[in-house]
Amino acid sequence: MTTFHPRRLWQTIGATKTGVVLLILVIVMSAAGTLILQRPVTEPEEMQRAYSAQVLRLLDGLGLTDVFHAWWFVLLLMLVSLSLIAASVQRFPNSWRFYSRPYRSADEGFLKALTHQTQILVEDEEASLKAAERVFRRAGLKPQHIVRERSFSLFGERHRISELAVYAVHASLILIFLGTMVDALWGWRGFVALTPGEQTIQLQLRDGAVQKLPFGIRCDAVGQENYADGTPKKWWSKLEIVEVGRTVAQKEIVVNDPLVYGGIRFYQSSYGDTGKLDKIILAASAASGKGDVKEIVLGLNETVPLDSETSVRLAEFIPDYVTADGQVYTRSNQANNPAVHLIVESKKLGEAVNVWLPPLPGFEQNSSSPYRFEARDLRMMHFTGLEVSHEPGQWAVWAGVVMLSLGLGVVFYLVHTRCWAVPARDARGRPVLWLGGVANKNKEVFERRFQKLVGEIESEISRVTVTSQSATRHKAIQSPQRQTGMGAMPYGTYKG
Amino acid sequence: MARTRVEAQPATGSRLVVMVGLAVSFLLLMALLNMAKSQNLWDEAYLLYGALIFYSAAGVLYLGFGVTGVSSYVRFASFAIWAGLMANTGAIAHRWYEAGHPPFASVYEMLLSFVWTLAVLTLVAERRYGVKVIGTVTMPIAIVGVVLMQLLRTEVHPLVPALQSTWLHVHVTLAMLAYAACALSFAIAMMFLIQDKMPTETFLAATSLFGVAIYMGVLTRFEAWGGLSVAAWNPEERSEVFLGKGMRLFVVIPDLGWMMLVVLAAVAAPFFLYLVWRRTEDDGFLSLANRAQFVSILLQALALVFFLLRIRGGRYSSFDTEGLFPTSPAASPFLLSGLVGGIFASLLYLLLLWRRADLECMLPSAEELDRITYRTIAIAFPLLTLMIAAGAYWANRTWGSYWSWDPKETWAAITWLVYAGYLHMRITRGWRGRRAAYFAILGFGVVMFTFFGVTYLLPGLHAYA
Repeated sequence: MTTFHPRRLWQTIGATKTGVVLLILVIVMSAAGTLILQRPVTEPEEMQRAYSAQVLRLLDGLGLTDVFHAWWFVLLLMLVSLSLIAASVQRFPNSWRFYSRPYRSADEGFLKALTHQTQILVEDEEASLKAAERVFRRAGLKPQHIVRERSFSLFGERHRISELAVYAVHASLILIFLGTMVDALWGWRGFVALTPGEQTIQLQLRDGAVQKLPFGIRCDAVGQENYADGTPKKWWSKLEIVEVGRTVAQKEIVVNDPLVYGGIRFYQSSYGDTGKLDKIILAASAASGKGDVKEIVLGLNETVPLDSETSVRLAEFIPDYVTADGQVYTRSNQANNPAVHLIVESKKLGEAVNVWLPPLPGFEQNSSSPYRFEARDLRMMHFTGLEVSHEPGQWAVWAGVVMLSLGLGVVFYLVHTRCWAVPARDARGRPVLWLGGVANKNKEVFERRFQKLVGEIESEISRVTVTSQSATRHKAIQSPQRQTGMGAMPYGTYKG
Repeated sequence: MARTRVEAQPATGSRLVVMVGLAVSFLLLMALLNMAKSQNLWDEAYLLYGALIFYSAAGVLYLGFGVTGVSSYVRFASFAIWAGLMANTGAIAHRWYEAGHPPFASVYEMLLSFVWTLAVLTLVAERRYGVKVIGTVTMPIAIVGVVLMQLLRTEVHPLVPALQSTWLHVHVTLAMLAYAACALSFAIAMMFLIQDKMPTETFLAATSLFGVAIYMGVLTRFEAWGGLSVAAWNPEERSEVFLGKGMRLFVVIPDLGWMMLVVLAAVAAPFFLYLVWRRTEDDGFLSLANRAQFVSILLQALALVFFLLRIRGGRYSSFDTEGLFPTSPAASPFLLSGLVGGIFASLLYLLLLWRRADLECMLPSAEELDRITYRTIAIAFPLLTLMIAAGAYWANRTWGSYWSWDPKETWAAITWLVYAGYLHMRITRGWRGRRAAYFAILGFGVVMFTFFGVTYLLPGLHAYA
């Protein structure tokens, strides 16, 4: 290493070997990233349980606990992209030359070296070339007349684009990389939970930071639909985008169908109980037994009059109650075992009575209440959990994916086929039509195609000969004979 | 010994065909009688039963070919696959109609589609590429698949919200097709190695190493005091027992771990003997290695029987919660397929050991097989690409991110990269023959790990499959 050669470095980067080494590194590192527990997904306590403190420090230091976001992994992906670009740039000029200037009037040496070649004995060179042209056209090989100084021949090809498709594939991979890079730098993901009626203009990102939205998002309603057996079928939320106090967009989103506004996407990701009460429906009847049963609807801290002198207030709602040490606690936010604390105030008695549903001994004074209550229905307040993401690079990714799929289709399934037809003389000086062909892949399929093409040209020639001969000459019809071998000289002279 | 006996009396080929034919007609008659009795003519279970009968008939005929070398068995086996495929198609159509969505939602439905794809590909490989004996490999897999299906929950299961997406169906269909094409390329690459005159001993070593990999995988479930932990099963619900969301309850079957350890040693023995043979070049070690292979097959079969007996009968305790829980083979599909796969690979080795000359006559030439391997991968690779793309698109609609580096995603990408490597080596570097075949085999190894290994060993978002 005495001097630095930028050119040689560029060559090295583009070499297939470099690409393969880099790919192997990517494979090994990604595999490590799936085998070693990863940081943001795994809880810190679990990491400590899985690895000893020393090992954990080592893994953390090397970035192996968050492989896919480590600087060296990003660097590795960039090097792969660079290698891909270098390889494509280095190889492209050759392919482009091949593509833009097809080797139509190939020289003798080239034609003689073709793997697929044959010659047909003919009588009339011009007629046979015309026949060959018709067959080329039928086979989708756009025929072109190649006129040289003293020779006249035919060239046909199809799917020349297949030579360049591999560059489209590489370019699409670069596009995908760029897209993910843009997302890694400028994209974000966050989460927000909303209850019906709630509106927010900010949300919490994955890393705990707060992201401000350029508009407000409001939830109007949320809900769940079940199958007959009780398993959830559908979660939905009605969302509204509010800009300067005006609703500019609204949509009912479900899982798999997000709301997109201004490049920000809101996904239905979870649904659940807030543990808060929306409304409770109670049946109230006078303790004396007189009068009708009244149905009342109560929210938390709401007061409803029962008669001119009595009113009831919902003081507490405990979703999953348990009593201990003279206190009422809740075990969870799920309305598994709800208890309701009502306060009945009566002007006549001049006192407030605590009513508990169900009657909790030690807390309730249900018997002294002028009214009896019975819970009819309970409506919990649900929240909707929204995943929010901003991925400005995703369009590059999707464009890349489409291009990649099309490119691969062309690479594997469109074969660049070239065929030549040249009038010539065989070893004994008889006129022949020399035919040659080459394909850039699927050689064994082309072998069959080529044989078929030759057969078609033969029958076309004999058809033409039959019609013309029966009209003019009385010579015995000689069907064209095929000779395979290298004896003939391609490039006969064109007798005009 | 068996070999000399068979060669002494050349088989006529008609006996086994007649026997299989009689068995098939008897079983079909029984099934028809049952159907007439139950008055439910087009039940999926009967169609599946029919498929099982025909696939088994094909398997028996292939086995008959393996033992006797009579080539007409293979032709009849192909008829049996056709019949089985028709029943299988009926079952899929019935399922699709009843569920109203393509059959990819549960493990049962995935197996149904997988077996169908496998049968179709077998016939395609036979017809188009002339790989006549490929059913020897694929039919046993199909049989295990259908048997496993009988154990699983078959009612149409409602889809949880995240799975109600056309893109998911596209993704899974493509995955199925791509993996099946990869499997085919693997089988053909193996056949290439046979035609490329790879020594039979090398296959012995490879079979032994394959078995070692399987039992190492099984022994990741080794528990203290020689137990083997398996997922608990609720027979009424026909589903696994869950402790929490996505957390299966594992129970420990005592002593089964020791048994697996012994089998691991037996499976590894041929490989060590092979190594000794390589060092000493004393052919005695080679025949010893072959004998060790017989022993390992017996032990593997024994392990499978014990595994099934213990898993079907009895209730076992768990470390995580109190009480005794039953379990079932259906709760441990990966363990079961591992054990069956090991036995099956060893049997294939026996087929090679005894019938190599016949196999070589029946297979296309090495160059042809080399080309077919490439062409199956040329089919698999775009499918893999589309599969990953459809999965990413679905993830983007469901989780809000097209790529989250979850283990399954990462391993799908690794699979893609390995096959991309194969294609580059072949196209730009001109790799042909052995090296290309090894690459194709490696590629399928990665596919298997993505499909089984990731699900079994690495947890992630892909909890559904």
